[in-house]
Amino acid sequence: MQRQRLLLGLIVGLVILAIVVLLNNPIRQGLDLQGGAQLTIQVKTTEEIKQITPKELEAVLSVVEGRVNGLGVSEPVVQTVGSDQILVQLPGVNDPKEAERVLGGTAQLDFRKQKPGTEAQLGIEQQIKAGLLQKQEELRKTGDEKAIAENKAAIDRSNEAIAQLFEDVNLTGKNLKDAGYQPTQVSERWEVTLRFDAKGGEAFAQLTKDLAGTGRSIGIFVDKALISSPVVGPEFAQTGISGGSAVITGNFTAQSAKELAVQLRGGALPVPVEIVENRTVGATLGQDSIRRSIYAGVGGLTLVLVFMGVYYRLPGLIADLALVIYALLTLAVFALLGVTLTLPGIAGFILSIGMAVDANVLIFERTREEIRAGKTLYRSVESGFYRAFSSILDGNVTTVIACAALFWLGSGLVKGFALTLGLGVVLSMFTAITCTRTFMLLLVLGFPGLRQKPELFVPNPPKLVNS
Amino acid sequence: MKLNVIKQRSLWWTVSASIILAGIISMVISTATLGSPLRLGLDFVGGTRLQVELDCSKPGVCDKPIDITTVRQVMDERGLGGSSIQILGKQGNQKPGVTIRTKTLNESLRTQLLTSLSEKLGAFDPKTIQIDTVGPTLGRQLFISGMLAIILSFAGILIYLTFRFQFDYAFFAFIALFHDVFITVGIFSILGLLLPSVEIDSLFVVAILTIIGFSVNDTVVIYDRVREVIKEHPDMHIDQVVDDAVNQTLSRSINTTLTVLLTLFSIFLFGGETLKYFALCLIIGFTAGAYSSIFIASTLLAWWRERADKSQPPPAGKTIVADEA
Repeated sequence: MQRQRLLLGLIVGLVILAIVVLLNNPIRQGLDLQGGAQLTIQVKTTEEIKQITPKELEAVLSVVEGRVNGLGVSEPVVQTVGSDQILVQLPGVNDPKEAERVLGGTAQLDFRKQKPGTEAQLGIEQQIKAGLLQKQEELRKTGDEKAIAENKAAIDRSNEAIAQLFEDVNLTGKNLKDAGYQPTQVSERWEVTLRFDAKGGEAFAQLTKDLAGTGRSIGIFVDKALISSPVVGPEFAQTGISGGSAVITGNFTAQSAKELAVQLRGGALPVPVEIVENRTVGATLGQDSIRRSIYAGVGGLTLVLVFMGVYYRLPGLIADLALVIYALLTLAVFALLGVTLTLPGIAGFILSIGMAVDANVLIFERTREEIRAGKTLYRSVESGFYRAFSSILDGNVTTVIACAALFWLGSGLVKGFALTLGLGVVLSMFTAITCTRTFMLLLVLGFPGLRQKPELFVPNPPKLVNS
Repeated sequence: MKLNVIKQRSLWWTVSASIILAGIISMVISTATLGSPLRLGLDFVGGTRLQVELDCSKPGVCDKPIDITTVRQVMDERGLGGSSIQILGKQGNQKPGVTIRTKTLNESLRTQLLTSLSEKLGAFDPKTIQIDTVGPTLGRQLFISGMLAIILSFAGILIYLTFRFQFDYAFFAFIALFHDVFITVGIFSILGLLLPSVEIDSLFVVAILTIIGFSVNDTVVIYDRVREVIKEHPDMHIDQVVDDAVNQTLSRSINTTLTVLLTLFSIFLFGGETLKYFALCLIIGFTAGAYSSIFIASTLLAWWRERADKSQPPPAGKTIVADEA
């Protein structure tokens, strides 16, 4: 009895915790529910690059991130999938045509020479651009689409204006063999290293010779946007920076040096990318799906609750209570683990409600058998739990095996289903074995009157001679 | 109620065999006409599906229903004849709309198509759009990983069962599993032949994997009981053991399946277009699963044990008994 009271306390505590969690952490909705576009980008191999290594994928990822940020979408997600794919999620985008246009092409890296007499103007333009970028960040939080689009156009114009200040010297990403980053000898600064091929080395020597000591800068552009504008020291005025290697020094931390190096590598990478998958759902359609799945969930749960109550009587009602606790706990776990709820994910959850019942059914059937065999109520309940356990375990393990296979090998939508069903099955073991059992034992032990009424547990029980 | 499964086993076997046979015939016909045993959807063959609804807030747009010939005309003009077109009628909240399934369209082709459709039909509401584009290579990739997932879970379950039961139990649980998957796939092949809208997508693979998990679950509960009855009555004939075990677990088998089916029917009826066939697939699979556990896995096990006992009178066992005597 003491043990049951403790467990009851634990269950009540968990339920309160679950409600607090659910009130404070809304469950994340997938794009198929909130509306938005999901694009899968395939990084393709070429003659020169026969295999996509993690280093190359990282470089391409940085290019894609740069492009996605340029779109002005709020809270975009860009992540790698497998060894050669990149997933881009754009919430709230109804027609991703602009994104598809921007994301589809190979990155373009250019080294350019600043035109004479533009020093002051470059400073001003860069300040304008920095202001616009900051404004864009703020606008994203507000979600004002029109203002974002206007500001984005202003950023494009600003990029254009900056590009006007530089002239082309025919030195592109093709000529850049590699870029890296390393600590400098002095202090804790970091620097970015560049390595060109033979032709690039010559062009770079010429470029730096022209610019050395003038105060004008080299413009490094990725996808037509200026990412860095280093100046060349006067000591290189005679020969330029020759030998095909160079370092960019400045106020780099390890992090910012790495970022620039990865950006440079990405811009230099001659791998084409292709959008191989596009899943877009309009916002209204998503809301419609949510409404429908709420109907389906509530409908399914109600039917199950009614059935259990009618068929299994008092234990059925207890199981109903355990099921509601189950639903609460599972949703709270989803919220805590940051599970993104998709449409198949909801289906997995609804299905797991049906599964959660199975454990209860197994236990109650066993309990009924024991009562019919003439055992006392308390012993029947205990051996019902004890003897049903091996079946419950076997059944759940096999389902979890199937879920694991799905989660491991499945694509995004499929993963969502496997995760919700798998978590549900595991949690249902807990609620069936702990919640239902505690409630049953508390009732049977706490209300001696109940023991005289086995018909609350089973229709037509045998007459108990001595209880 | 007492069910005599052993006596009528030839009946149960015939029922299963004929459904499976019908499925196989349908798969052969389907392979001949459609090129694959099941009607493969966008996810596996690649292509583009567009769904748009008209913007009824603009005057005059929703006055008359969408004419399929107009849509077909536009598609033909764009060189996309032979695409499948489905008109969504106006009903309740649903605005008139159209679903088009065609070959993979890139961004510019898609935008052009939407513009010309919009010129003929009226403005679309951008918030109700649905675009699905899957490249052909990715489709193959999805298909392969789906098959791998199925094979992997088969293997995992076989290993787990062999570990928990004797090998012949595991083997027949596996046969029952195959039976359920085959019946589901067969019925979907038939549905695919009859209705062009029944296609196999990623969710179908998910459904099959779920059926695999559940089907074994059902069988395991009965085998668990068989094992228990044998332990309690070691001398009982295997036919009697199986009959008892099935009957003792019968109400559990029925009730569990019933509760799961209740939730599934709820998804089937209210869950929306995307989940409809997913739910249907599970309904078929779980029903087959309950049937095979009660009637097929049990009777096969009894048949096998009886045969093994007859063909192999255990001489070793007899000697031991003789020694003891």
